[in-house]
Amino acid sequence: MPDRTKLIEIQDLHVNFKKGGHTVSAVAGITFDVYEGETLGLVGESGCGKSTTGRALMRIVEPTSGSIMLSGESLSTMKGRALRKARTKMQMIFQDPISSLNPRRRVRDIVAEPIDCWQSSKGDERTKIVDDLLHKVGIDPQVYGNRFARQFSGGQCQRISIARSLAMRPKMLICDEMVSALDVSIQAQILNLLEDLKTEYGLTLLFIAHDLAVVKNISDRVAVMYLGKLCEIGPADLLYAEPAHPYTKFLLGAALAADPNAARPDDILGGEPPSPLNPPSGCRFRTRCPHATEKCANEEPQMQTFSPGHAVACHYPLVIHSKSA
Amino acid sequence: MSDSAPLLSVKNLATTFETARGEVPAVGGVTFDLLADETVGIVGESGSGKTVLARSIMGLQPRTNVRVEGSVQLGGTEIVGASEVELRKLWAVDVAMIFQDPMTSLNPLIRIGKQIDETLRLRLGLNKADAKKRAIELLDLVGIPSPNERYMAYPAQLSGGMRQRVVIAIALACSPKLLLADEPTTGLDVTIQAQILNLLDQLKSDLHMSMVLVTHDLGVVATRTDRIIVMYAGRIVETGTTKEVFAQHRMPYTEALLASTPKVSDASHTRLNAIPGRPPDLLQLSKGCSFAPRCQYATERCHNERPELESSGSPSHLFACWNPLPLPTNRTASPAGSEA
Repeated sequence: MPDRTKLIEIQDLHVNFKKGGHTVSAVAGITFDVYEGETLGLVGESGCGKSTTGRALMRIVEPTSGSIMLSGESLSTMKGRALRKARTKMQMIFQDPISSLNPRRRVRDIVAEPIDCWQSSKGDERTKIVDDLLHKVGIDPQVYGNRFARQFSGGQCQRISIARSLAMRPKMLICDEMVSALDVSIQAQILNLLEDLKTEYGLTLLFIAHDLAVVKNISDRVAVMYLGKLCEIGPADLLYAEPAHPYTKFLLGAALAADPNAARPDDILGGEPPSPLNPPSGCRFRTRCPHATEKCANEEPQMQTFSPGHAVACHYPLVIHSKSA
Repeated sequence: MSDSAPLLSVKNLATTFETARGEVPAVGGVTFDLLADETVGIVGESGSGKTVLARSIMGLQPRTNVRVEGSVQLGGTEIVGASEVELRKLWAVDVAMIFQDPMTSLNPLIRIGKQIDETLRLRLGLNKADAKKRAIELLDLVGIPSPNERYMAYPAQLSGGMRQRVVIAIALACSPKLLLADEPTTGLDVTIQAQILNLLDQLKSDLHMSMVLVTHDLGVVATRTDRIIVMYAGRIVETGTTKEVFAQHRMPYTEALLASTPKVSDASHTRLNAIPGRPPDLLQLSKGCSFAPRCQYATERCHNERPELESSGSPSHLFACWNPLPLPTNRTASPAGSEA
């Protein structure tokens, strides 16, 4: 595991938003790496900063402090053309497939837009690349290539978005809730498509979503966020089987299984996340945590590694992995 | 099915929208009964007609360009064709509805207390002071902390989960016999979703309500309903007790829906069995089974002749399919027929 190459290194990333004299710390110091070729799932409830993290990576929102490295280059300090060039290596796919495409443009032109911007290819070669991409995402370019984006359903629009994001052969895709607006039958198609393309193009994915089952299905590793902080990060199967952070456990307990024999969650998390305008001292989860003590209020828990690749920020983690195993 | 008369009896309910492109049969002939104290889940993808069905039961369809046919009997009163004056007598007292979006189902300019009072004063004829007292009790009942202060709050001052609790409080104000909940937790976070579903469950048994739970999420209906109705393209394709639908479904669409849902219990990178294609255009429904173009078992007959709901042996379990799946006892056996 240690010899894997890091594609993205995020160190102590902060993103603050100023509004009406108040400062909201949407992302309050998170550190993690994304390895080449893996899928990292980022889960959490609304307002936890998962989307802001993805947007900060793309520099759609400006990080307040901290550093983001992309293949050893400092993304957080890049400017102008260098930044634009770096963005061709990372592409983002958004939640609402319909509004992320211009309804008055033809599908071929939408997919070709990045190519035209960079003048990377022209004429027949450009057409070939575009048709090839459309074919890959399951849209027949001969039949649908000249149609307008408004003529497509949500699932098809998401396919077109994927084709567009792949036009510059990026290394990484940042998918922000990309399947949440789709029906389950279409969602399954898109998830399968993403897995296929990931293998074919050797992509690295940062998959941001609130649906725990979807995230587990697609991810190699999963990171859990709460109120701007990282709670826990670890291999998907391990984290779901043995959550170490109390918040992860509650989150998994609240996820509903499509099984009538499944046990009803007996202890569900009460209350609501506190306001990020005035976050609790120490551990941010302590106001809702049944295990919280004085220490949690006074001292902020730091990320500590449990077993290889599994780290948690909690003073009283739930599972202590035996070192020998 | 049982001796007691059903609380809600829906017969051949069809709701058709007259659009510029033609007639859209959003609900195409739905029949089911709901007993007192029973919870039925209606599941389906977008466009399957589940919301239109719920709104038609409530009598909420607009009068122009919409045709509602068939019959909806609620406690002996016919809802289809009833005038608004008649419907107003039923709403809140006999039947109440919770809508999907808690952000838009409350008036942003009116304090939440007043929005709860309105129902109480109008329907139960309470005076101002009594209505306020009852409204605060209701806020407390749905688990809103410090209800006295929240009574004066505007919807914008509350979170999504809290707003949905207020919507539930309004719906429950006159203790309706039937609660229609249309995607009550869609758009809420999972931990809040669990809170709201538990609340609905508890209120349902405390107040002896029947409930229709409309959702696209199979996880929501799995442990919280007595029966399930699966809808596709405006029709019921399978219905049965919750266990029957999950464990002994006969309709390939139900199977495909379950198989394409990612499960937390599965290992990561488990390949999903996606259903190819997409739901049909309601303007161009074939004369056969609507699911046939996407169905892996479809035969000639499926494309030409529409299957009607028929019993699978158990009186509660109905499905509409020409080539139903075998019962699970035979399902484990290999197709070659190597039965033990």
